[in-house]
Amino acid sequence: MFIIPGFVIALATFPGVIVHEAAHLFFCKKFNLQVFAVCFFQVGNPSGYVVHEKTENFKALFFVSMGPFFVNTLLCVVFCTAAFLPIWELKVNDPLAYFFYWLGLSIGMHAFPSKDDLGNMWELAPEKAKHGNLLAILSLPMAAVLIVANYARIIWADLGYGIAVGILAPIAVFRALGRV
Amino acid sequence: MRHGTCCQCGVTAPIRSFYSMNGLTYCEPCVWKAAREARDAGQPSEYISLTDNSVCARCGADNGNSDFPVVGKLPLCQNCALLVTDWPYPQWIKLAFLFLLALLLVALVHGRKYFQAGRNLYTGERLIDEHHYSKAVPYLENTLKVAPGSDKAALLAAKAALLSGNVKAAGGALHGHDDGRFPDNRDALFQEVDGLWNRAMQAYDKAEAASKLAANEGHEIEAARLMHEAAALYPESSELAIAADMYDEGAAYARQDYDSFVALTEKVWNEVPQSDTAAAVASALACKYAVSGDLNYRQRSEEMLAKAQQLARGDAAHEQEFQEYSERIRYRLDTRQIISKQQYDEKFRGAKSKLN
Repeated sequence: MFIIPGFVIALATFPGVIVHEAAHLFFCKKFNLQVFAVCFFQVGNPSGYVVHEKTENFKALFFVSMGPFFVNTLLCVVFCTAAFLPIWELKVNDPLAYFFYWLGLSIGMHAFPSKDDLGNMWELAPEKAKHGNLLAILSLPMAAVLIVANYARIIWADLGYGIAVGILAPIAVFRALGRV
Repeated sequence: MRHGTCCQCGVTAPIRSFYSMNGLTYCEPCVWKAAREARDAGQPSEYISLTDNSVCARCGADNGNSDFPVVGKLPLCQNCALLVTDWPYPQWIKLAFLFLLALLLVALVHGRKYFQAGRNLYTGERLIDEHHYSKAVPYLENTLKVAPGSDKAALLAAKAALLSGNVKAAGGALHGHDDGRFPDNRDALFQEVDGLWNRAMQAYDKAEAASKLAANEGHEIEAARLMHEAAALYPESSELAIAADMYDEGAAYARQDYDSFVALTEKVWNEVPQSDTAAAVASALACKYAVSGDLNYRQRSEEMLAKAQQLARGDAAHEQEFQEYSERIRYRLDTRQIISKQQYDEKFRGAKSKLN
């Protein structure tokens, strides 16, 4: 497994970082959480952040932590779907399609929530789940998988996720369309 | 900013740097010492950091001796209070969001032709899976118009065309793809199409040989046998199956088995109602009239001849063909003599050309 410095990856996939942090900010605002600092992109570690107040509201915490995961995944699917057919199935050399694939993969690569986001959720979820909070119950396995996936970033799990979403989702979309 | 004085050493500093223990104010070094001594004496030793609500927790702005309002849990100046409760999106991120939306629109509009081509590809693939081969061909041909370089589309189009007996369309799909070159010759789909193509080509080679034989009088039976071999080798082709029936007509004529001749021509006419197949029925019925003298056959032959003429109308090539064989059929009806085309040509057409 070859190592590429994080800032190089961040630079090459900067749209994903910006979308990730913008999604954090969006959900903070949506749930009226105080925001103390925002960085949409920087050459450094972390490559972006949103510092917000702690909350006991699990719904707010869930969406602030997991929101970027859903938003980035969705945008990855959309852009990769637009590029999947010409590149993979139709073998058309269309530069715009390659651009969309880069954009989709960049966004998909930064879908994973950070360890801090997952840690906050993991801390609050068991207690809320005990009280029957459905979102907390659902979030536990999701957070468990994502925590493991986060550690697996060292073996390019984030890129793997982007590629999987960018290829498998369009295949599913078009197979479904073909059956209509 | 508020200031405090340490109860032990008397140092004066901002209150935020002091601690409170048992109701007394200490600086940091003194609180550690006092806490240790209290612990040793068995007294309470917990201490807390003192806060100063006259200093903004975010930007550090000093409000003198007045406290800033507490927003959530923190004292914040007016500017920071506004900022943290409603952090604005920067202008560039709004523009970037609009740009992303525009890109999304471009991706969808630009990709529309690919979506349609892809949908046609998957629909064609599904139809092949369901064995609706001829229905699949137009879908896959439409995909190839957008993506002539797609191996999958070309091979699927060729497969569908070959399995529906359409060799011409299969050839178009294969040769339109990089002059028939495919990068992966070990691919299962390629192997399958290659096998189908070779089988079809062998069948058409036999059909061509049959056609050459049939052109020479006296070889009708052998030509029919060869054409049947071609049709059996490539049963997907209705063209070859019909050709085999037509060659059987020639064989039946050669054997002077006019009942079979009538039955076979009528069968082909029912399958392919065209000018030439109608004329073939007229020819067979004329043979039956010639040998039996039964006027019913003559009447039916003339009716079929009229149909052949009607169907040939408007097409120069068909009209010319009709002219050629209608003369011979009329001769057969008028004289009740059955002679071959070659004999007829020698007897009448050679004379005509001499006159001309």
